[in-house]
Amino acid sequence: CNEEFTENPAIGALSDEALQNAQGVDLLLTGAYSALDGVVNNNGGNGFAVSPDNWWFDVMSDDAHKGSTDGDQADLYNLETYTFTPANPYILGRWEALYGGVNRANAVISVIESIEGEDFSEKLAEARFLRGYFNFELQKIFGNPAFISAENYVNSEFNQPNPGPIWDQIEADQQFAIDNLPDIQSEPGRPTSWTAKAFLGKTHLFQKDWQKAFDLLQDVVQNGPYGLNDEFVANFRAGGENSEESVFAIQFAADDGLSYNGNVGGTLNFPNALGWCCGFYVPTQDLVNAYKTGADGLPLLDNYSDTDVANDYGIESDEAFTPESGPLDPRLDYTVGRRGIQYNGYGINPGKEWVRNSFSDISGPYLPKKNVYYAGDDVNMGTGSWGQQHSGVNYNVMRFSGVLLMAAEAAAELDDLDTALDYVNQVRERAKNSTYVQAEDGSPAANYNIETYASFPDKEFAIKAVRFERRLELAMEGHRYFDLARWGPTFMKNVIEEYIANETQTIPNFGPKVSPFKEYMVIMPIPTTAIDLSGNILEQNPQY
Amino acid sequence: GSQSLYAATVEESYTQETISGMVTDQNGVPLPGVNVFIKGTTVGTQTDFDGNYSLDASAGQTLVFSYVGYKTQEMVLGDQDVVDVTMQEDASQLDEIVVMGYTQQTRGDVTGSVASVDISEATKAPIVNAAEALQGRVTGVTVQNDGSPGSSPIVRIRGFGTSNNNNPLYIIDGVQTDDPSILNSINSNDIAQMNVLKDGAAAIYGARASNGVVIITTKGGGYNMAGPSISVDGYVGFARAANLPDLLNPQQHGEMIFQSLRNDGATVTHPQYGSGANPVVPDMIQGVPVDVTVPQGGTDWLDEIFRNAATYNTSLSMENGNEHGKYLLSLNYLKREGIQLETGYERATTRLNSEFKIGDKVRVGEHLNVSFSNTRSNNQVNFALRASPLLPVYDDNGNYTGTYAASAGLSNPENPVAILERASDNYSKSLRLFGDVYASLEILESLNIKTSIGADIQSYDGRFFLPKNPEHSEPRSTNTLTEQDSNNYEWIWTNTINYNNNFGEHSINAVAGMEALSQRGKGKGISRNDYLFESPDFYLLSNGAGAPIIDYAYDGTSTLFSIFGTANYNFAGKYYLSATVRRDESSRFRGDNKSDVFPSFSAGWVISNEDFYPVDALVNRLKLKGSWGELGNQTLPSDNPTINISNLNNQYANYAFSGSGTPTTGAILSQVGNPNLRWETSVTKNIGLNVGMFDDRLDASVEVYEITTKDLITRDNSLISTTAIDAQAPLVNLGSIKNTGVDFSIGYQSQASSDFSYGINLNVSHYKNEVTDLISEFQTGNTGFRGGAITRTSVGKPLSYFYGREVVGIFASEAEVSAAADQGFTTPADGVGRFQYADINNDGVINDEDRTDIGSPHPDFTYGLNLTAEYKGFDMSAFFSGSQGNDIYNYQKVFTDFPLFFDANRSARVLDSFTPDNPNAALPALSATIRNNETNPNSYFVEDGSYLRLKNLQIGYNFADNIVDKLRIQDLRIYVQGTNLFTITGYDGLDPEIGSFDSLTLGVDGNVAGGGLLTVYPVSQLYTLGVNIKL
Repeated sequence: CNEEFTENPAIGALSDEALQNAQGVDLLLTGAYSALDGVVNNNGGNGFAVSPDNWWFDVMSDDAHKGSTDGDQADLYNLETYTFTPANPYILGRWEALYGGVNRANAVISVIESIEGEDFSEKLAEARFLRGYFNFELQKIFGNPAFISAENYVNSEFNQPNPGPIWDQIEADQQFAIDNLPDIQSEPGRPTSWTAKAFLGKTHLFQKDWQKAFDLLQDVVQNGPYGLNDEFVANFRAGGENSEESVFAIQFAADDGLSYNGNVGGTLNFPNALGWCCGFYVPTQDLVNAYKTGADGLPLLDNYSDTDVANDYGIESDEAFTPESGPLDPRLDYTVGRRGIQYNGYGINPGKEWVRNSFSDISGPYLPKKNVYYAGDDVNMGTGSWGQQHSGVNYNVMRFSGVLLMAAEAAAELDDLDTALDYVNQVRERAKNSTYVQAEDGSPAANYNIETYASFPDKEFAIKAVRFERRLELAMEGHRYFDLARWGPTFMKNVIEEYIANETQTIPNFGPKVSPFKEYMVIMPIPTTAIDLSGNILEQNPQY
Repeated sequence: GSQSLYAATVEESYTQETISGMVTDQNGVPLPGVNVFIKGTTVGTQTDFDGNYSLDASAGQTLVFSYVGYKTQEMVLGDQDVVDVTMQEDASQLDEIVVMGYTQQTRGDVTGSVASVDISEATKAPIVNAAEALQGRVTGVTVQNDGSPGSSPIVRIRGFGTSNNNNPLYIIDGVQTDDPSILNSINSNDIAQMNVLKDGAAAIYGARASNGVVIITTKGGGYNMAGPSISVDGYVGFARAANLPDLLNPQQHGEMIFQSLRNDGATVTHPQYGSGANPVVPDMIQGVPVDVTVPQGGTDWLDEIFRNAATYNTSLSMENGNEHGKYLLSLNYLKREGIQLETGYERATTRLNSEFKIGDKVRVGEHLNVSFSNTRSNNQVNFALRASPLLPVYDDNGNYTGTYAASAGLSNPENPVAILERASDNYSKSLRLFGDVYASLEILESLNIKTSIGADIQSYDGRFFLPKNPEHSEPRSTNTLTEQDSNNYEWIWTNTINYNNNFGEHSINAVAGMEALSQRGKGKGISRNDYLFESPDFYLLSNGAGAPIIDYAYDGTSTLFSIFGTANYNFAGKYYLSATVRRDESSRFRGDNKSDVFPSFSAGWVISNEDFYPVDALVNRLKLKGSWGELGNQTLPSDNPTINISNLNNQYANYAFSGSGTPTTGAILSQVGNPNLRWETSVTKNIGLNVGMFDDRLDASVEVYEITTKDLITRDNSLISTTAIDAQAPLVNLGSIKNTGVDFSIGYQSQASSDFSYGINLNVSHYKNEVTDLISEFQTGNTGFRGGAITRTSVGKPLSYFYGREVVGIFASEAEVSAAADQGFTTPADGVGRFQYADINNDGVINDEDRTDIGSPHPDFTYGLNLTAEYKGFDMSAFFSGSQGNDIYNYQKVFTDFPLFFDANRSARVLDSFTPDNPNAALPALSATIRNNETNPNSYFVEDGSYLRLKNLQIGYNFADNIVDKLRIQDLRIYVQGTNLFTITGYDGLDPEIGSFDSLTLGVDGNVAGGGLLTVYPVSQLYTLGVNIKL
């Protein structure tokens, strides 16, 4: 027996040295992209909380209810009713998933730094773009996240303080990505310099740097490779994935056994019908009301909720129901599944039968549509037990209509009302010219009426119209909570209070069960477990 | 050994005849080395290896036979010239030979802390796993057992010396392992001796010994036996669940739901209980697609999943030997049905131990144990606690009921009976072979060399089918077959040289040796979906329609190379000295950290053997001993902990860059390495006093110890914290722990001469555990609980104390809410009926900063009490064990006492919830949702875990010789036996014996993702009827 007897290699493992080359960089970079779906190793929080589509933040906004019965996913109930605590496992789940992503990007950055004599600047730019993306998500959700640098990563110094926003670090990554990414990528899942530009624009928008945001976003609009799809719904169909409207999308794919690359965090968000389960993530009456239009085809910005769109709340499927006959924005029926309307190719929605919650629960009569793969889009249908709900529908983190509306918002804030009007109308024009959801006889399924704005009379109106358009266009895509939050704590509080009052008219148990929204809730608390494991280096956000 | 003859001074005038004979033990096994001498003379001899002796004596003289561990016998010589003697074991067993690994010592000579199990007493209870024999019977050893079939008990020796692997090292004949499951593979009837090395005495096992060493030697027959000795033992019996909790019946359940909704100000309506003023239990389940009649009085789901489970055990063992060889062959079949439906453990083992002499100097032998087992474990207690009491097990058509639709208000547990019964074709089969072959050569009378090669080979085959469950409200859309296999190989090669000699009153016994050990584990699991038929005839991986999924695959090796030596010196039976040193080199570490040297020393002084000690003292034996030793622990959950490991991983690392099609392969870091990792070292100090009184019938010992463990190895989750990469945290040297304690035991055995005899044995252990150094301010335990970690570890406190908010009461009025610290209620009215938490930091606000130490899982002391009695043919033994002063965090109450699943069933405790009419309630006001963080870690869940349990009661009868002779057998005994007949405890959970594999998460009763905790299982009572026959 000698030295060799007590030397045993780790079979099947890649050592640090084995990864210090071009192939290693590619492998680790792919690993960093893989964290985009939110599914990471050793995640301590709730597994449904990790989806990059931020679905449960819609539940915390006025766009969606949790769905299912109140007791199902009690932690989500606490979030929707604003009774959550820092120990809520949803909050921890998303936090850990995002830091997993940050550090997988750091792993790429550090391995590139350790290789001499080769130019990996494009790969480095991809890694820094991803880190910028993950950090942006952390920033918008938590307000005061810790920044973990590549140096911290190499030295395993992960317990960094969180003294405030990390916008500067996000901007630096995004600027590096703009400067070093190519204009065109062969694979649609990889960002280009245009993608990075749009994201830097959004970063500035979130900081209310209106001019910087506008300059970047207008550049993307005018000179970038993007455009609007002819069909609004193409953004959610297999055929429309990675179309010219997609600026950056999580590339969900529904194959390989248990659909590891599907939207695992979105598993619950299917109707409780058609062999699916769970019935979570259902739109609110308030959101449906927002799609009402006037005789002029324009939204009712101030009084959309004075009367409700006809709904089947409290009505069983075998009882008669007359759907809304008033004018509606056609995007409603591509966003919300409601009784009497074709549901993503699976037939006419029968109402209550497909809804999981009961009439005493806080969730209403509607179903989600954008995240549910269409009948016939088999490529997006997952495999495996509940895995068939690991949908392959790509999630557009940013699509071009969103870029237009961000640019319009910056323009409106800068009092450039013509540009704002132009961009908003491009979005509305596309909605108007899209094919409408049809009844079984081929006629429009409802009284659809949508027109463009003739003008924006003043800045205040323009801002209101842009914000409203953002809700209509991007509802149920995980943006609403963060938009409300960045528009201000008081603004958000007012919106939520009004929403709770409106919603309670339809769902009587909603109001009594919801606690008041507090202004500090525009950012989430730092998870208790995160603070504990940091040895109290992380500091809790104010008032939590 | 030497055969020193007493000098024969022939001066008698009697006619001398040569007397010869054989000395055997009760089993007919020849005893070598028995002193035989003529009373009143110095004439004597010893029996040879075959138990034979001869000496010259005259009629009328008295022969005295004495041997350590046996009662001295006297025989008056008549005119016979052959005198065969059967020696009876001495009840005190003070002088037995103790197998200490590479050496043997008589108990009286032992200077370390070595505890032995009274195997014949311990194996009276129908044990499955040999470790169960340790429970409560050895001071300083705690054993905790998961109630599920085929599980391995958790054995802890002297508290918690580490935060890493606390399993002791097991040595079974020549095989070493820290895998406690090996004890499942042994027939407890084969065990000859079981000894526990608790202190520096374990240092001979160096780097693996810091958690103590359990040494098991098996029986092996004897040379020159008169004939084969055959025993047949068997028992039958049944087990049942005890201590099941009370759940709500349908009427109570409905009232709980209505009261909750009323308290919330919500509309009071329920799909099953209606919308009236009071809940109405329906005749039929409402709103479901099939006819389901609600059973009268509802369903107690715990009763449905538990059963009276049959137990059988049969053993046969044969021993024999002639002058050239000896053997033992044993066979055992055990079937233990689980108390939950369709669970159980079934095992067949066979053992062959044999040894052959080649000439006078060489012996060759082997131990071989083969066992085959099938474990079917499943635990559906959680679903049974939650399932609606309205639902019967089967619907009106005879199909399983389920929760059908969420809107039916039946919550969403799966039908626990359906899960158990559908798993009836699953299995976990294990074939395990272990043993050794050895050869020894006597070079000189005092010098022997021995070489031995041991092996442990394990092959595992598991099949699990998950069928569809259409009645469930969240049905699976496909079925899945999972196949798992693994192969583990270990070999160990040991070479020793042994010197054993006496020089006058000086006696020396020394061993030196080298040892090489290699372990390899390799395995995989594969799943596949979508099977056309749900029938076991169809269960092949090739029959699934889905893509095969590799769930996991691994292949790891670790090796250890050691040299060691030990020397024991004894002067005149008064003074004893031992020294041991071992150098280990482990593959798990790097560079200078790979190897280390572990020394130990011990000394003993038998005061009662001193000349000045009065011969007639009340205390006839008095021995003082002390030891100091350094021990290691290199057992880790990773074979290569010093390096970063990245892996290709199709679940976590791949990405489909085009949104569909075959994903691109990626890699992720899966384990962070720590190149500086060192092994743990423990320094143990032990001082003991042994006292014998009344001719050693009373035997007492007390030992005081201190164990200081430094460089504790554990995964540092604060280093790879939530802001880190998603890899497994590195193993680090975390800090130091000090255990101080006292082990006390006392036993009394009455005189055996009368018809009635009895014995009492009591042992009490106390330890105090304190963390003395930590690399971070604190470490949290498992963070997978609701509300985060329940346990915390920090300097100056014991490992894993409970950490959370302190509940000081329930707010009874708005005034009380307003007067107390702000708990975040919107209005004072919202706070009425809720828990009031202590404002620990006195800042007027209750938040996470107000968490504090709310209890300790460490007991003040643990104890065991064994009572035995014999009267004529009857024998009785009762064994109690208990623990005092430990707290348990009853995490299970989160589910049973709070509305985590609102429509689910609840513990009857919720009947004592706060209402204005019941302000002194145990539980806060009912609600449909969790309010006021009440399920986050807090003191409501901390309970006193003290208990006293009658572990075993047995009454036996030995048939008288005349009956036995007629049956042409030697011995016949029958007995009845009961296990866990009663438990005295204030603990509300299913069983106060709480185990844990995670030393930073101790004393938590409840399942949690991430593992480390035992499953929640009720106490199981076992009643058996057994027979022991000796042919």
